[in-house]
Amino acid sequence: MPLFFGIGAGLMVLVRFAEGWHPVWKGVTLTTIELVMVPLGFLSGIGGFDYWLGYAIGQPTKPEDHSGHGAKSWRDYFRVNTDHKVIGVQYLVTTIFFFVAAGLLAMILRAELARPGMQFVDNQTFNGLFSVHASLMIFLFVIPAFAGLGNYVIPLMLGAPDMAFPRLNALSFWLLPIAGIMMLASFLAPGGAFASGWTAYAPLASTHQPMGTIFFQMAVQWAGASSIMTALNFLVTIITMRAPGMTFWRMPLLVWANFTTSLLVVLATPFIAGSQFFNMFDRVLHTHFFDAGAGGYPLGYQHIFWFYSHPAVYIMMLPGFGIVSEVLAVMARKPVFGYRLMALSLMAILVLGFSVWAHHMFVAGVASWLRVPMMVTSMIIAVPTGIKVFSWLATIWEGKLNFSTPMLFALGFLSMFVIGGLSGIYLAAVPIDIHVSDTYFVVAHIHYVLFGGSLFTIFAGIYFWFPKMTGRMYNERLGKLHFWLTFIGFNLTFFPMHWLGIQGMPRRVSDYAPKFANLNMFISIASFGLGISTVVFLYNMITSWARGPLAGANPWRSLTLEWQVSSPPPIFNFDEIPQVVGNPYEYGVPGARHAVFAHERAAELEAAPTR
Amino acid sequence: MEAHATHAHGPPLAHQSSRVDSRVLGMFLFIASEIMLFGSFFTAYFFIRVVNHEPWPPSQFHLPIYVAGVNTIILVTSSATVHWALQSIKRGHRAGLQAGLVLTFLMGLTFLLTQIMEYSRVGFAPRDQSFGTIFYCLTGLHGAHVFVGLTLLLFATIRAFRGHFSPEHHHGVEIPGIYWHFVDVMWIVVYATVYLL
Amino acid sequence: MRRGSVVQLVLIGALIGGAVTAAALLIPWLPPSASKERGGIDFVFWFTTGICITIFALVSAVIIYSIMHFRAGPDDDSDGLPIHGHTGLEIVWTAVPVVLVTAISVASAAVLHRNDHVPKRHLTVEVMGQQFAWSFKYDDEGGLSTGMLRLPVNEAVLLKITALDVIHSFWVPEFGQKLDALPGSVNNLVITPNKIGRYPVICTELCGLGHALMRTSAIVMSKGGYEAWVRAQRRALNGPKTGAGKAVFANQGCNSCHTLKAAAATAKVGPDLDKLPAEAKRAGKPLEQFVRESIIDPNAYIEPGYHPNVMPEVYKQLPKDQLDGLVQFLVQSSKGS
Ligand code: HEA
Ligand code: HEA
Ligand code: HEC
Ligand code: CUA
Ligand SMILES: [Cu+2]
Repeated sequence: MPLFFGIGAGLMVLVRFAEGWHPVWKGVTLTTIELVMVPLGFLSGIGGFDYWLGYAIGQPTKPEDHSGHGAKSWRDYFRVNTDHKVIGVQYLVTTIFFFVAAGLLAMILRAELARPGMQFVDNQTFNGLFSVHASLMIFLFVIPAFAGLGNYVIPLMLGAPDMAFPRLNALSFWLLPIAGIMMLASFLAPGGAFASGWTAYAPLASTHQPMGTIFFQMAVQWAGASSIMTALNFLVTIITMRAPGMTFWRMPLLVWANFTTSLLVVLATPFIAGSQFFNMFDRVLHTHFFDAGAGGYPLGYQHIFWFYSHPAVYIMMLPGFGIVSEVLAVMARKPVFGYRLMALSLMAILVLGFSVWAHHMFVAGVASWLRVPMMVTSMIIAVPTGIKVFSWLATIWEGKLNFSTPMLFALGFLSMFVIGGLSGIYLAAVPIDIHVSDTYFVVAHIHYVLFGGSLFTIFAGIYFWFPKMTGRMYNERLGKLHFWLTFIGFNLTFFPMHWLGIQGMPRRVSDYAPKFANLNMFISIASFGLGISTVVFLYNMITSWARGPLAGANPWRSLTLEWQVSSPPPIFNFDEIPQVVGNPYEYGVPGARHAVFAHERAAELEAAPTR
Repeated sequence: MEAHATHAHGPPLAHQSSRVDSRVLGMFLFIASEIMLFGSFFTAYFFIRVVNHEPWPPSQFHLPIYVAGVNTIILVTSSATVHWALQSIKRGHRAGLQAGLVLTFLMGLTFLLTQIMEYSRVGFAPRDQSFGTIFYCLTGLHGAHVFVGLTLLLFATIRAFRGHFSPEHHHGVEIPGIYWHFVDVMWIVVYATVYLL
Repeated sequence: MRRGSVVQLVLIGALIGGAVTAAALLIPWLPPSASKERGGIDFVFWFTTGICITIFALVSAVIIYSIMHFRAGPDDDSDGLPIHGHTGLEIVWTAVPVVLVTAISVASAAVLHRNDHVPKRHLTVEVMGQQFAWSFKYDDEGGLSTGMLRLPVNEAVLLKITALDVIHSFWVPEFGQKLDALPGSVNNLVITPNKIGRYPVICTELCGLGHALMRTSAIVMSKGGYEAWVRAQRRALNGPKTGAGKAVFANQGCNSCHTLKAAAATAKVGPDLDKLPAEAKRAGKPLEQFVRESIIDPNAYIEPGYHPNVMPEVYKQLPKDQLDGLVQFLVQSSKGS
């Protein structure tokens, strides 16, 4: 790493010298370059590039070597590993770490907001707090947590031995800690953490903020590169590595969801990369992308940013839809209602998602010929989403419901996400949005869809696949306790925010009108309760992983492929590739099978009376 | 039993559920992503161009259209040579492969050097008005891609001289080749927008 | 589906719907209305609320009913009915939401169109946002410039909103209208205040460290009162120095951040200006020079406990006579107390 630091610094001095600029040594530029070089050094240091480098300089490729595959002891989880199961667990543990970090920042946020006026932190720090809170939650928690679950489950569900590009998979994981630590480290930068919100609007973020902003801009690039690589990997795996008989219409809905999400990631993420490049260039190279005085266009930033970031909210929701479909079908012991329409509505959301970005800019001064069409498209998204919601309801209808923890979270998701989605409809209606945009109403919407939506599904997914990943069962009573504490704490914390917003409390403020004091105190107390609920979760996970009862291969009696192998699965998933013979959710259909293994098939033929 | 033992050490062969090779597919998806990255830069370009009602480019800026035109021809030709290299190895002509790759590499390098020369002679910097900004960023973004493409070609060339490719195994040429074609096509778009339009 | 279960489902739905409706009606959700535009906005709000309550009641009724009736017994390992879909139902729940969202869209578009309409007879005010203060310029009143927005009641105002440095956003909750202030372009917003009173003007776009403090007031006055105010302002600006200084202090919005008895200002964002002599001593400067410097170049000396870059730097652009008046006023009023 120091080597790369040196290379970076040398490079800069060289270039600046060659151009005859003074001073030759400059903090901002140096920081920018080091934020690229140091991580590269780190990645080479852990051996992330060894194979490719060897390939590049023309060493003969070794025949597949599996020493870096699979975890034999817990230490292997801290090394570069190419096994998708190890990587999946690495993803989940890392993202939960960042979730706790971001949540603790939110606790400081709430402590400050408990009373009007300033108590614990000053304004700049406060702005830094919610910026880092949101950025970590979005880029280092929700998006990669879904990627981690997908990483673990998808190859198993497809009947594949691993992802298509295992080494790329490992690399995309290792970019995450880099991005996350960069965001947290920005608190140490002179002038404090980046403080322009996770949206980082220009020209505030491009030229009016201290140096911490560069940490955000670079971290987003690293995290973005990571998610693009993972998405590529998912797409190629899903297209080329399905087991025989696994047609697209026989894929579990989680695979469908990750397929559409990955398309979104591949097509949309470059736009946020672009927007952050522009902001960074405006500062470091003194360009004028967003400087109205020199022919730049400040609104351009918002168009480019939201062209990514609206699809991003579906990147943060569609995999959750997939998880809920799995959990509800298994726990209700019924086929998913309207399977094909479920898959098609994912595609519809994907397409529509690219056509609504300006609904974040209704008050930004965009032309009305843009406002009204984008209002209509935003509203239309309620239709495919509604199809999904109603189909889930029909799935549990007349089912045999088992109220295990994943099921509780799935049902909790269903009710909370509907509230969040409906508040999205308020926001999509331009006259209402004009009134409530940039207020706590939006903060309430954010948390109903991201916490009540994404986070509930992540919890559902973690509990659901916990036995598969660890081979052990979590503690059901603690799981239920976690659910109820979260569910109640969540509603007490975030529901009152709707009222605050409509009444006139803007978002992103450390100080507010005295008339909102009592309710804010209430919200803060509730939010501490919500925080405590996370302790229950962490305790349950850690103790169950270490000492939980053994779970067996298929505790949920599920039909999909990942449950047909041992828990945890063998190192290469399947000793033989299964043959898929039917749909994944044929619960209640007598004699229906999703897949058969050759040895089972042999046994069946053996048993069948000979002609 | 013997067969089973070896099985446990390596993965079972994955079922190939599509006729497309996974590496080629991966490259195409990556290119889709790259196109979107260029898309964001073009979006910025057109925003800037539309909000500046004045004549475009603003009168104080002059672009060396002809030098860049020649450069374009060089780059497009290099697309042909990389194609030739690939065809050669498919037919087993190792010399054709090597010559094609070296030629491509040299032409790419010429392009990049010309581009750098142009930067130093063009007479304005990225900090000069939004026009300077977007000119440098679009051509610079493309230049960075040329650089990446050249690096990939360099790897392929090294391996070609070490004799790693054969009519059956030539993904190491094909995939950098696809990328190189993309870089060329993208240049035509960039050139047309920035210099001609 | 049995008859009984339908009745029960409807009952649960009605119960939830009723409870939510009660919550919607009993809690005062919307802030008091003080503009004509709010009428349309409130209508869309309640219209959407009606639709959303229905949908929420339906969804939660089905969930609660399912929890009550479809619970599997402790050792019940059987499966549910293998229902794969129902085309009729699927068409219904595609079509009904389409109709509902179309209705909301149409209502919204109509209201938007009405609220964006600029009546022929209107007052024009130029609104400028800058880190971290608002200023309002009345073109019709010979370029009178203030830090608080004063408007006559029942008259349409066209706000031409722009910004100096970064993006800000102008919002008055009671007016229901909001629009960003963008550097380099002018955005138009129409407001027709219809209730006399004093309302907060809030910056809602994150604009830097003083974003939370970027507040001022909008004062809606009777027509006569407004005209009298305009006349008084003009007179004050030409009158004896301290009186003029007092007007400048009020107009520039100093009172939205500072406490000063003589101006009846009580805000606490910046230092208490009644204690200026002590502060000048701490800074080690003569009082008058200190005050002038603090206004022209606020970062020259930072009072302990406060932050640099909060007080706007724009006051150096004040015309010389106004600046002199302001300094005189501050020096005298702080000495007096
Ligand atoms: C998981 C993330 C997620 C999801 C899924 C959504 C979903 C939606 N969002 Fe949200 N949104 C965010 C995350 C998300 N959002 C975030 C983070 C922000 C703030 C960004 C920032 O500024 O920091 C935001 C901001 C935001 C705004 C901008 C507000 C502002 O700043 O002024 C708008 C405006 O239109 C909006 C609309 C919508 C809509 C219409 C949906 C729809 O997709 C919802 C569709 C779902 C339903 C409607 C419910 C189920 C449907 C039925 C039961 C059928 C029947 C329904 C009807 C007939 C109405 N969102
Ligand atoms: C997935 C996304 C996600 C999640 C899960 C959360 C979770 C939480 N959020 Fe966040 N939030 C956002 C995404 C998210 N948020 C976004 C996108 C914004 C917009 C930012 C912007 O404007 O740019 C935002 C903004 C935001 C604001 C508004 C800031 C402002 O505009 O001024 C607030 C204020 O209350 C808030 C609070 C909380 C709280 C209390 C939680 C809690 O749920 C957190 C609970 C978790 C923990 C607390 C951690 C683990 C707990 C322990 C280890 C136990 C011990 C701790 C204690 C009890 C002290 N968030
Ligand atoms: C957005 C808030 C804000 C506004 C508006 C504002 N100030 Fe200030 N002012 C501050 C802050 C914060 C400080 C303390 C930090 C500093 O000295 O810059 C300050 C400091 C001062 C001081 C120096 C006092 C001391 O003890 O250091 C004077 C004098 C002053 N302001 C006068 C004015 C006048 C006159 C106006 C209007 C023309 C005005 N201010 C408008 C926030 C504001
Ligand atoms: Cu100005 Cu916020
Ligand atoms: Cu959106």
